[in-house]
Amino acid sequence: MNKIISKFIICSLLLVFVTCEATAIAYCSLRDPVAQMLDLYPNKTNQLSIVKTVDADIRAKVQVALPNNDLHFSELGQHTLYVAMDGESLLGYIHVRSEQSDWGLVEIVWAIAKDMTISNFVFQRCRSPKKQLAEQPYFKEIFIGKNYSQLKALLNNDGKTANDNVLEQAKGASDLANVVLRCALKTLLLTEVLWGDDLNQL
Amino acid sequence: MEFLTKKQPSKGVVFFTSTMLLSIPNCYADFTENLRWSLDGSARLNLDNARDNTSQIYAIGLDTHKVFTSDNSDIGYAVGQVYFTKIHNLTPVPFLFDNKNDSDFIIREAHLNYTAGTSWLPNIRVGHFILPFGLEEAIDTNGRLLDYYLGANLGTKLDWGIDFNKVVKHLEYSISYTLGGKDKLDSIDGSYAVTARISSLSHQNLVIGGSLFNGKIDGVSRNRVALDWRYYWHTYGFFGELALGEDDKELGSFQTEKYALLEFNKTSLNDQLKLYGQFIFRDKAQLKYAEKLVNIGLSYQFTSRFELSLAAMKQVSTSNDFKKKKLARIQMRYRY
Repeated sequence: MNKIISKFIICSLLLVFVTCEATAIAYCSLRDPVAQMLDLYPNKTNQLSIVKTVDADIRAKVQVALPNNDLHFSELGQHTLYVAMDGESLLGYIHVRSEQSDWGLVEIVWAIAKDMTISNFVFQRCRSPKKQLAEQPYFKEIFIGKNYSQLKALLNNDGKTANDNVLEQAKGASDLANVVLRCALKTLLLTEVLWGDDLNQL
Repeated sequence: MEFLTKKQPSKGVVFFTSTMLLSIPNCYADFTENLRWSLDGSARLNLDNARDNTSQIYAIGLDTHKVFTSDNSDIGYAVGQVYFTKIHNLTPVPFLFDNKNDSDFIIREAHLNYTAGTSWLPNIRVGHFILPFGLEEAIDTNGRLLDYYLGANLGTKLDWGIDFNKVVKHLEYSISYTLGGKDKLDSIDGSYAVTARISSLSHQNLVIGGSLFNGKIDGVSRNRVALDWRYYWHTYGFFGELALGEDDKELGSFQTEKYALLEFNKTSLNDQLKLYGQFIFRDKAQLKYAEKLVNIGLSYQFTSRFELSLAAMKQVSTSNDFKKKKLARIQMRYRY
């Protein structure tokens, strides 16, 4: 029996050293953010999914564009961008991304307008005690209507935290403001890099 | 290559293959578009103290997910999980195998969910899927050491049939009629299962669900009603499932069954480490004592491809006078 356990441990260690990134969850557990999409686009009648792969190259592009930032391992692998439709009319885009925080992963469902500005967002997973503050209109206004460049201008020189104006406007939810800002930037960047060509053809 | 010839392909494999092939010409997009696939391999070592037995389970398979679309709309999606599974010295022998050193192709999930109906019409799922009952509905346990004992409670975890499901503004529901044949695409000796669950939205920090089950599987008629909840705070989770019901193993003599599961879990800030402890209580009227179990376990995601899991189970009290179970399990899983 000891021999079997030893083989097990050796194989485990070998796999640790030879592996890199991929998706960790079984696909049966994938769920579309149906209720959140209805919140973000009440007039949506249907949606169009476009699945793309976030790989090591894309991760490197994020690290170059947003220094001192990285993608969480769950952000690698295949991800879906949803195009919200009202019949045949395009309403906007929906993209879910995760960001690590002091309360575990925060998952945000982003509504993106056709001009690639943030039009709204809701939390899919957020266990911060400040979540209710971050759902208030004054907090959301920090991000809504802004494009990638405008959001990037809200970062401090460290590339990870929001500037003082943003933190003041966040009124007590400053940590969450940092998380939401980083997530918004990565969302717009990845949407443009990975899905940009597909969206231009719609 | 004995394993390739000794068993006939099940109707399930035929169903899965044919539905996947039939759906290709009905889509505008290429089949590889919006397709996720992953090779999924695992090796599990079981150390059974009560039986003084060591056993292994090896599985290698394909996990797939495909979204079908038209020009401007999703039509639905398919999930297919087919695994070649080999057991070595495993007792008791699971119903999927003929003896303790057997191997077979096993379908875990294989279903199509049609989602293109109007806003008030439910989605329609057909195929082999997890019965919508209790905690298992929302948490993926396929191929993991973590378990919510759906199979022990209802007679099977997965079954072939049809399911109506939907997420609406404030709640989710799923109602299924299945054949009760478990891995077989057949009703066997009048087997069937009607299962239903309704819950608050599953992405919230507090989720409460109610489930119903009526069915006959393996000659046992069962009725169940259950309440389940998940509460998340910070990186902690407190889950529970309470089920009441009756079993009829011999015609006309229903026996009361009570089942409770409580789980406390914790994840690391980056989700790499997951720890859990479970307490399970199961009381059957015809048995001398109630059975109580304690499970503890952890999984560590070394990379996004490789996960190592450990679990230990101890029977605190048994329903008979046999030796109390003690089981330790180790599993490594690799997805490519």
